[in-house]
Amino acid sequence: MHETSLMENMLSIAEKAIEGKNVEVKRVTLSVGKLSNALPAALSFAFEAMTQTGPLSGAELVMEEIPVRVQCENCGCNYEPDEFPYICPGCGGIYYTVTQGEDIYIQSLDCLEK
Amino acid sequence: MSKIEIKKDLKALNNEIAAENRDVFKKNNIYTINIMGSPGAGKTTLLENILKPLADSFSIAVIEGDLATANDSERIKKLGVEALQINTDGGCHLDARMIQEELSKIDLNDINLLIIENVGNLVCPISYDLGEDLRLVVLSTPEGEDKPLKYPPAMLNTDAVVLTKIDLAQFVDVNMENMEKNIKDINPKADILKAGKRDGVYNADSVTEYIVKRVGSKKEQ
Repeated sequence: MHETSLMENMLSIAEKAIEGKNVEVKRVTLSVGKLSNALPAALSFAFEAMTQTGPLSGAELVMEEIPVRVQCENCGCNYEPDEFPYICPGCGGIYYTVTQGEDIYIQSLDCLEK
Repeated sequence: MSKIEIKKDLKALNNEIAAENRDVFKKNNIYTINIMGSPGAGKTTLLENILKPLADSFSIAVIEGDLATANDSERIKKLGVEALQINTDGGCHLDARMIQEELSKIDLNDINLLIIENVGNLVCPISYDLGEDLRLVVLSTPEGEDKPLKYPPAMLNTDAVVLTKIDLAQFVDVNMENMEKNIKDINPKADILKAGKRDGVYNADSVTEYIVKRVGSKKEQ
């Protein structure tokens, strides 16, 4: 359940972003990499539990999944792999570097002026 | 409605502290290993068996991470190795700040190898950089040959997978070749090492040799 600690970080980043602004946060948008090791259902649950009170109370959580992208270490081509094992569609190479889909980002806050 | 763009990684703070830890390790010539794996995978037993031969070449300190008890650090201290215990009180992983706090309790001039045994968990610890040089994921054969496929991030974010309890594979219908193939299907670059009992004696020589080699190749850089 490290989703709770991720959510704590999210809240502190969001609270910093609205510091000194007289706004009401209506929506929080998160981008969750498919390989980020974070479970969207657990993130939702943590968000709900941790925004019962405080500056984000009443806000809605929206999550966008970021697909995995990798670069083939043999031919250099970039592709979006399907299932494991990842095999380069260009050259059949099996060695790759993940270029997208491992991170989890807070993208934006939608706010209403109070 | 107005939009505030943020675009910030939720692990940014941990990554910043991990970078600070990495600087401390570099300044003090300390090579750091992060050992991860499920509860009961055999992480501490592996450690007990590699510490003695490693102590011939290195001055070692161990940080043990568990939800509760000091059982593991006590086991390590019995071997004459300095060991610190972190209790996370329910927390599922170690993070960079916890390691930073422990570093203040160690005389960093006295050691050149730090081994961190993470909380038993094959999911959460993987996402937290501690500032380490080397990552080892410990996977015991009785956990099942399909586990690599079920936990891709653990296979992807490691330098090597140590298969433990290899002597038990035959009793739990685990095909080692399939297990190794499943690891390679996720991460073809992962090194696969083996440990377990042979004729009643625990053997983890390949792990010790691997660590010595990795420390050596870092020094050459």
